[in-house]
Amino acid sequence: MAAQIASTRSLSVGAGSAGIVATALLLLGLGAMIFAPRVVGEYGTEIGFRALIYLTLAEAWNLLAGYGGLVSLGSSSFVGIGAYILMGMLNAGGFGIVTALTASGLGAAALAIMVSPAVFRLRGLYFTVGTLALGEALRLFMINVSYFGGATGIFLKSNPPPTEVLYVYAVALAGIATLVMEIYTGTRFSILLRSVRDDEDAASQVGVRAFRVKLLAFAVASLLMGAAGGLQALKLGAIEPYGMFGLQWSIDTLSIVIIGGLGVRFGPIVGTIFVIALAEALADYPELHLAMTGVILILVIRFAPKGLCGLGQDVCRLLIGRWDRPGMPRAGGALP
Amino acid sequence: MKPGEDVTSASDRILLRAAGLTKRYGGVVAIDHVDLTLRSGEVCGIIGPNGAGKSTLVGLLGGALSPTAGRIHFDGSEVTSLPASERARRGIGRTYQIPRPFLDMTVEENLLVAQYSLSPLVGTRAAYAQCRSVLERTGLADAAKMPARALPLLRRKRLEVARALALRPKLLLLDEVGAGLIDAEVTELIGLIHSLVKEIPTIVIIEHVIRLVRECCQRLVVLDFGRQLAQGLTSQVLESDEVAAVYLGTGHGSLKAGPSERASSARARLAQGGQRAGSLAGMVGAGEPKASGAAMPLLRLEAISAAYGQAKALNGIDLVVEAGQAIAILGSNGAGKTTLAKVISGAIKPSSGCMLLNGEDVTGRSAHVLAARGIAHCMEGRRIFQPLTVEENLLIAARGVSAIEQRRRLEEMYLLFPALAERKAASGTAISGGQQQMLAIARALMAKPRLVIFDEISLGLSPIVVDRIYQALGELRAAGLTMLIVEQDMDRVLDLVDYVHVLEHGSFALSGSPPEVKANPRLRHLYIGAAD
Amino acid sequence: MPSVELIASSLASGFLLGGILALTALGLSLVLGVMRLVNLAHGEFLIAGAYAGLFLVKYTGIDPLLGLLVIGGVIGLLALPMHQFLLMPLAGKGPEAPMMTTFGVSIILQNAFVLAFSADTRAIERDYANVALTLGPVTVAQIYVIGFAISASVVGAVHILIAYTAFGRDLRASAADADAAATIGVNVRRVHALTFALGAGCAALGGTLIGIAFAFTPVSGATYLLTDFAIVVLGGLGNILGTLIGGITLGVLQSIGGVVLGDGYRDLVGLALFLVVLAFRPQGLLAASRS
Repeated sequence: MAAQIASTRSLSVGAGSAGIVATALLLLGLGAMIFAPRVVGEYGTEIGFRALIYLTLAEAWNLLAGYGGLVSLGSSSFVGIGAYILMGMLNAGGFGIVTALTASGLGAAALAIMVSPAVFRLRGLYFTVGTLALGEALRLFMINVSYFGGATGIFLKSNPPPTEVLYVYAVALAGIATLVMEIYTGTRFSILLRSVRDDEDAASQVGVRAFRVKLLAFAVASLLMGAAGGLQALKLGAIEPYGMFGLQWSIDTLSIVIIGGLGVRFGPIVGTIFVIALAEALADYPELHLAMTGVILILVIRFAPKGLCGLGQDVCRLLIGRWDRPGMPRAGGALP
Repeated sequence: MKPGEDVTSASDRILLRAAGLTKRYGGVVAIDHVDLTLRSGEVCGIIGPNGAGKSTLVGLLGGALSPTAGRIHFDGSEVTSLPASERARRGIGRTYQIPRPFLDMTVEENLLVAQYSLSPLVGTRAAYAQCRSVLERTGLADAAKMPARALPLLRRKRLEVARALALRPKLLLLDEVGAGLIDAEVTELIGLIHSLVKEIPTIVIIEHVIRLVRECCQRLVVLDFGRQLAQGLTSQVLESDEVAAVYLGTGHGSLKAGPSERASSARARLAQGGQRAGSLAGMVGAGEPKASGAAMPLLRLEAISAAYGQAKALNGIDLVVEAGQAIAILGSNGAGKTTLAKVISGAIKPSSGCMLLNGEDVTGRSAHVLAARGIAHCMEGRRIFQPLTVEENLLIAARGVSAIEQRRRLEEMYLLFPALAERKAASGTAISGGQQQMLAIARALMAKPRLVIFDEISLGLSPIVVDRIYQALGELRAAGLTMLIVEQDMDRVLDLVDYVHVLEHGSFALSGSPPEVKANPRLRHLYIGAAD
Repeated sequence: MPSVELIASSLASGFLLGGILALTALGLSLVLGVMRLVNLAHGEFLIAGAYAGLFLVKYTGIDPLLGLLVIGGVIGLLALPMHQFLLMPLAGKGPEAPMMTTFGVSIILQNAFVLAFSADTRAIERDYANVALTLGPVTVAQIYVIGFAISASVVGAVHILIAYTAFGRDLRASAADADAAATIGVNVRRVHALTFALGAGCAALGGTLIGIAFAFTPVSGATYLLTDFAIVVLGGLGNILGTLIGGITLGVLQSIGGVVLGDGYRDLVGLALFLVVLAFRPQGLLAASRS
């Protein structure tokens, strides 16, 4: 299965020095964004915050599904867990924000580790459906258990910090996500991860402990998602199961990455910009916005499997003539 | 250790000991209580006909498959329950019959996977240097930065070997690495294996290409039907009559009979079949009499080529089949026989050339369209519909005809294969291999086809069953059915057909009438790599 | 401690409701079993059926139960172009692409429903629906009984179709070995298209029944999707009668969960069961163990 996904995706641009450049650019960009609020004002900061949260989620999902071949529809599980953990810790008192966010991430990672033996036994489609069920199950659980606030949820007892401060946290988180991506896609771990994605059995035959490799990717991605969830909770000030464990997170994350380019280093950021722009353009028509997202998703899957980034690369290739980069898969069928 | 040296000069240290290895899939026993001992420093070959269990054995040793029974000890410790990744880390490397490189990674990266999984903390420079040296040894240094997807078949095979080498294995399992290579390439491969012998203590070569085992292995093990048939020094094993008989399919059951005796008994069977021909005539579609030159050929292929992605499987095939003819397509593994069968039946679209059925251009039409036009394909591996009963398997093939006609044809099939009548309500899983083959043939006939392709129907079946099946084929032949028989079992086929084509690397290397082809020394060469 | 009547009625309701749910899951099982396609828009086909039933009675006065076949037929026909233009071109691109496409369709349909019909909660109000039927200690809503009868009949009819007709033979052969089926002469593409349409039609039928028995919104489909997955996994992929058994089992377990833990836990019980079965026996509890 993973091999089939791989054949419709392009390789990471981030191999070797090219990747370091990419990461440096991204970090610079993020650094610059710290100063953005002064320029764009309050509403712009809001959008920026949303974009940064999405970027973090998208980077994490790209690691999981793009590089690891694990297509998960359960992002909401980890976002939600992170949110509730943060709320719980801040309400309990005595914990700083950074500590709480770290706990959110670690809690989500713990959840991932807990479910991995069961979930990794499922290959391909079953894995995806299993993650979907996990997210829903958690949502229903949270609705019913009154200790966690039930359907009404819980709210932050103290005042949340102002948007500008949260914005800086978001920048920092996105920066961490970028660094993590660089580590996991630019270093030797990327080689092991991609080998498992391409052909898990052949990878085992060459000594790769596939389960551990998948688990590491899964845990790291979940950690990032949990921290993002925690930050989002902090911004909202009040959370409840429909919002934090809702399918919306899984849909948005998936759409961003596929539209931007699955398995492509710049995919998440391109996707985030596109999706946020679309959301703003259609801000008055939320249903239309979502429906359009669905349409674009279908079109991208059909006509541009490498996403907008892939389209861009194809255009560049046409214009420049030759795009000589090692590792670009040709358009050829695989052997039987 | 050089190949050819007396096996006793290999060290006495036992590297691998497998005892009582058995692998069962439901009712089918793929490997049946096989014992194998490998010493450090030897090159051992494992040969046997198709379906003997060679690949299953490799899977069991390498860890991809877990045995139903038996134990494996490697380098002093028991590894029976260890998964493939752990065995690889302990020093068992294997290559795959059909190369499975990591397609979306470069050649270099393919090797790095092995490096990094073994020594995660090795320095980058050292890792790359190690890769480069392995690539040089296997002739891939110039392709280091190419994506694996871009490599042609032979280079992919080299990559398979290189990737296994990067593990620095103590035991290397080479699974049919010589398949589909021409003579010159085999020579290259032999050179490569010789050079490996110095650094890898033990190499196991599982092969069809006899030349490879002859020139590389000191010791041979022969498998047949999942059991060990023979074992010993290479030269002795290859000269054994028993082994030759099993391997070349020279009448599995009738070892004592000489060639002429077998031929006359076959002719007798045919004559017998001729008496039944009358009743079978109804089974043959569009009952045209044997072609009389002026009539249009039933099937004509012109310059047909086909490829699987990179690998060219068929190369400019020209074929003419007249109505009523029986034609054999022979060739060694990987020569392209099944690809040709699939192109004719429409399962694969040719990349170039054209195909004419009774003058009509049917190039590239879908399989179900060709089936409706009268081409039936009894596929390799039988491909019975497991969840359907025997009777349903038959009925599904009789399409577009009235229920009465369906019943009539069913009765004819039960007449031809009484064993099926007894099992008509059994599901596809509950009948034996021989019965499945009969079912597959009957299913193909239910459509009243003009042309039937029989693809490797003797695969994995016992001699008695194959006798029965060929008897039925003889009867159909006498009744005038046009057939294309793709086979490895040469002898039986040559007694049955009018004309023979021998495929090698996707084109016809040898064509002629059975006597001509039989007498041609190239035939044996094409099959076992050296004229006897 | 709840009364005997309550427990008995709950179990009976769960049994009957489970039968109705089986109908909703039937289409998913067929499509997954034959085409190996995870149709994430399945829930929306259900809701489409519910809306169709609602508008049928609103604009023509014809009772949805009488118009069931029409509803099923219309939705089934509408599903054909979706298969033709969205799914078929993706053949050979791996199993994720079609699944993600159905995911996209699901998003589009949900929002299309909101735009077209508003986000209001709807229900198909029929007088006969809520009449209580009592037999001994057991009291159930009449619609449950009617719905169960209809569901069982449709499941039975589909079973006969699959097991005893030529089309059913073609379908089972395509599911077992598509290449061999094509070689035998089966037009596998057409079989897939018809199977997809049949699946959509069955989903719509189930949706109409659900719409009469309960309320629904444009986004209710998602919950039913997951419940249906649970039923499919319980009953065994592609096993038609197994789907009925799986549905009833789920319905009963949900009732027990509701009585023991509280009403909000009904759906959770189903999902938890699903996850457990998925973890240990993904091919389904009732699937014949093939080697």
